Amino acid sequence: MNGTTRARGSLPFMLAVLMAGCSSPHQQQLPVSLPDLSRAATPVKDQLGERYTSLTRKINGAATPSVELGNEYGETGKLLMAAEYRDAAEPFFLNAQALVPGDARWPYYLAHLYRLRNEPEKSAMCFERALRLRPDHVAALVWLGGLHLLQGRPEAAEPLFTKALSLQPRLAAGLLGMGRAALARRDYAPAVKYLEEALAQDRLATIIHYPLATAYRGLGEAEKAEAHLRQRGHVDPDLPDPLMAELNGSLRSAVTYERLGLDALDKKEWARAAEYFGKGVELAPDNPSLGHRLGTALFLNGDASGAMNQFENVVRRSPGFAKARYSLGVLLITSGRAHEAIEQLSAAVKDDPNYLEARLRLADALRRSGRLAESLSQYEEVSRIDPHVAEAQFGFAMTLVRLRRYQEARDRLVEGMRANPTQPAFARALARVLAAAPDDRVRDGRQALAMTDRLLKEQQTLDLGETMAMTLAELGHYEQAATLQREVMAAVRKAGREDVLRQLRVNLERYQRHEPCRSPLRPDDPVDAFEAGVEPGYSEANRQF
Amino acid sequence: MLLLALTASCKADRNTRAPSAAASAGKTREAEWFVDRAQETGIDFVHFNGMSGEFYFPENMAPGVALFDYDNDGDLDVYLVQGRMLGPGKAPSQALFPPRNPLPLKGRLFRNDLKIEEDGARTLHFTDVTDQSGIDAPGFGMGVATGDVNNDGCVDLYLTNFGRNRLFRNNCDGTFTDISQESGTDDTGFSVSASFVDYDRDGWLDLYVGNYLDYSIETNKRCFRPSGERDYCPPSAYRARRDRLHHNNRNGTFTDVTARALVGGAFGPALGVVAADFNGDGWPDLLVTNDNQENLLWMNQRDGTFKNTALTSGTALTAEGRAEASMGVDAGDFDNDGDEDLFMTELTGEGSNLFANDGAGVFEDQSARSGLGLRSLPYTGFGTAWLDFDNDGWLDILTVNGTIAAIEALRRANDPFPLHQRKQLFRNLGNGQFEDVSGRAGAAFQLSEVGRGAAFGDVDNDGDMDVLVGNAAGRTRLLINNVGAHHHWLGLRLAGEHVPRDMYGARVAVFRANGPTLWRRARADGSYASANDPRVLVGMGDSIEPPRVRVLWPSGRVEEFAGAKVDRYTTLKEGSGTAGGSVR
Repeated sequence: MNGTTRARGSLPFMLAVLMAGCSSPHQQQLPVSLPDLSRAATPVKDQLGERYTSLTRKINGAATPSVELGNEYGETGKLLMAAEYRDAAEPFFLNAQALVPGDARWPYYLAHLYRLRNEPEKSAMCFERALRLRPDHVAALVWLGGLHLLQGRPEAAEPLFTKALSLQPRLAAGLLGMGRAALARRDYAPAVKYLEEALAQDRLATIIHYPLATAYRGLGEAEKAEAHLRQRGHVDPDLPDPLMAELNGSLRSAVTYERLGLDALDKKEWARAAEYFGKGVELAPDNPSLGHRLGTALFLNGDASGAMNQFENVVRRSPGFAKARYSLGVLLITSGRAHEAIEQLSAAVKDDPNYLEARLRLADALRRSGRLAESLSQYEEVSRIDPHVAEAQFGFAMTLVRLRRYQEARDRLVEGMRANPTQPAFARALARVLAAAPDDRVRDGRQALAMTDRLLKEQQTLDLGETMAMTLAELGHYEQAATLQREVMAAVRKAGREDVLRQLRVNLERYQRHEPCRSPLRPDDPVDAFEAGVEPGYSEANRQF
Repeated sequence: MLLLALTASCKADRNTRAPSAAASAGKTREAEWFVDRAQETGIDFVHFNGMSGEFYFPENMAPGVALFDYDNDGDLDVYLVQGRMLGPGKAPSQALFPPRNPLPLKGRLFRNDLKIEEDGARTLHFTDVTDQSGIDAPGFGMGVATGDVNNDGCVDLYLTNFGRNRLFRNNCDGTFTDISQESGTDDTGFSVSASFVDYDRDGWLDLYVGNYLDYSIETNKRCFRPSGERDYCPPSAYRARRDRLHHNNRNGTFTDVTARALVGGAFGPALGVVAADFNGDGWPDLLVTNDNQENLLWMNQRDGTFKNTALTSGTALTAEGRAEASMGVDAGDFDNDGDEDLFMTELTGEGSNLFANDGAGVFEDQSARSGLGLRSLPYTGFGTAWLDFDNDGWLDILTVNGTIAAIEALRRANDPFPLHQRKQLFRNLGNGQFEDVSGRAGAAFQLSEVGRGAAFGDVDNDGDMDVLVGNAAGRTRLLINNVGAHHHWLGLRLAGEHVPRDMYGARVAVFRANGPTLWRRARADGSYASANDPRVLVGMGDSIEPPRVRVLWPSGRVEEFAGAKVDRYTTLKEGSGTAGGSVR
């Protein structure tokens, strides 16, 4: 199976073919062989073996027409390339190109093979050959343009992108290429024009934001530049490329399916992602990472129970895989199964003590379950491992409030505000504590008023409205407090939150009796929602749940 | 002759001759631009990486190397990082590459016994003085940083480890004392590069430690190629570990000020660190290269804190907007416009990156324009530096290379460690472009090895930059430069006013009659996991006139010095020059 297959041609001809690459396809064939597959996965081994056997049959069949034989060589080359046996794939493609010189597929695949082998000059030659055969090959135009940009030749890249756009005027990849070429020339105005257009055509292509920011910076428009920097990402614009799509999906391999699934996640195609991950799991049922990704994709596709089953499967098969326990814990919390959630999250941090997200979630769950001392120690541990985690600082302070340790809570919140100036949760919670803490040494109505006033100027929320009502009552303005509380209640009623309404009514009655509020937090933690990061759900950066 | 004339006309903006045509044409060993002389000079050291086929991360990422004058005798000594067996219950004999040196597995210190005769002839020899030095470093070493932490004029040694980091205080008598624990710098985890930098300009060196991944042998994951063959995992398989900034308390201890000083707390899997003043405000900033995540540019806020401006400065990502696997890094003024530009080595297929500074700390990715990106594309670079290897006044680039993932051709040939690649040398053409001259640099550049750390310095004190190279599971190389001597040079040691230590971060302007002013910096950091010669070596081309020299000291003082002669080293002491001069 692994022996070198007889080729039709003499050595000098073979050398000529090998050296020619894409410059001059020759009729002679090079010897081909499979690489050492002894360490490959069985499905890959089988698939490559079958394909190679079929090819060998065609080679040995004297009557095999050249086109048919060429296709067989090419198809085998595709599989080898998909398996990242690129050196091994090269002679297969060269033979395909030699036997079917009019078929643009083979120089096109060769171009990608050389590109991936970091041989840009050879790659460019092959793209050029593919384009001679098929001048309207949009993907080849875009790829070749990209190679010229890499070579520092924007002037050579631009006509290729222009041609691609003449064929597909809304092609985001082409527009991005034009923008990048303009940027390389430091021609910022056209760069902005092309890149904005590219983004308009493909909003999911987050990679465009960064060069666009650079172009705006070049024009001196710092605010726009920063706005785009904030939206930066890694997702490329869609480039319709059926040939490469076929190649990339051709190998029966868990890793291949995982990569395809991740690409689908990037494009927010959750169902397709779940399908690919599912195929991967079929081939590698013991791969916990793949199983976990499948659970994530199912969840994103709206199938929470399927996701939970999947995470449970992973936990069963790989009990030490902390990520699955974490995800399962998160889903259990949302299902109201706090006790089981705490069990899973505890197991996650036991297996992976530095798993901060899991530890944070565990601390939150413990706090909500009233296990305050345990919660406090989990928050403390997070801060010990990483003193920068604002959520832990905040959770710690809020747990202190629950424990009625108001002075400590106030000090922690003040420290949190200083350390996290862009995170308003600390100020909001501090305003509450200052307005309504039962501890006279902590309560400070005037400071609460100043803070709440400032916060309300930045953002008007029901929580802040409630805080202001508490503050007004603390300062003896009971009528105003009651009026404001009624307004808050009206808004809450409109939102259909009857549970919250009951809590708010208790305070309203207090204000009507000219009594201040002496409990800064409602039982359902009205102010502990963090601006970012408190809901550790799907992370685009890590493409995982 | 015609060829030479043509070459000259094509490179008219380069104000000097091409690097030694005679040297490149010569057939003798000495005529090679760089010659490996490690073994013959006594550096007989083979790195042990403890690999046993389990694809443990650290085995692939070390070792760093250091050039530093620990005994203050005026020449550079050598410290080499060593690994150890990885994996529970495994003995070194079970390694794929068992140890080759009959020595205990630990980092080694080699003393340079350089002798220079009256006629200038040099005898270079190193003696292994590890045992008498008191340095006992048996951990799995990753890298090394050097700096005088107690201002006693003797360089101390910080070792980054996969495990607990170590700080050895130099006792100024040839021995060292382990003060890791009492100093508070013994971070545990997986550190690679570190930098000593006086970030608050109080005259005492602080310490930035770049940490890599939250990784342990116990949590080692199994990753595969599409074929199903096992391979090293990408760094994204693990969480990054936060870097640490330690403030020097001036009493042998440090305080971890990470949370307070690194505002916003950005972090990633750090592999390289270099300190330099990127915006010309006189305060040192820090550039941290991260593996496959955005790099960090900590701009000094002059109040004991830093703000990460990597994104807005253009150094976080490539021009395309991609986070690359940045490893080695160095800062230097490659275009002689008076500011610190950046060079970073990257993974195969990404190409190295050149970021040109506009002087205000805003950078432009010139990787494509310079040709460096394209020509480094097939290589995975680690140790690197801006060095003027031919002393023509333009900073060139050297990279030591070796992949992370197996190279298919080597794997097919059943190579047991199929990651090795050749080193690269890029000559600065003085017009923003670089020429790959590796093929002309000597046999040492034809060696294919798994290059990791590289330290740069003038080991034989002959006025040109030599290179010490650490290879994973391979022999240490000492590349002696034979080409720099064809041009003139200026060697400067920048010493403190009240403390006799090298003033890291001091910037030097060398004013030349025929050509732009050259700006260089005293530093030991940069490259990858390695420590460099802190002396400033300035290529002067054909000029023999003693130039006017201006020094911008880390304290903020600006002084001018006259009379520093070419072709020799001169110590400039802060406070002994003529005050004044602009900072630009």
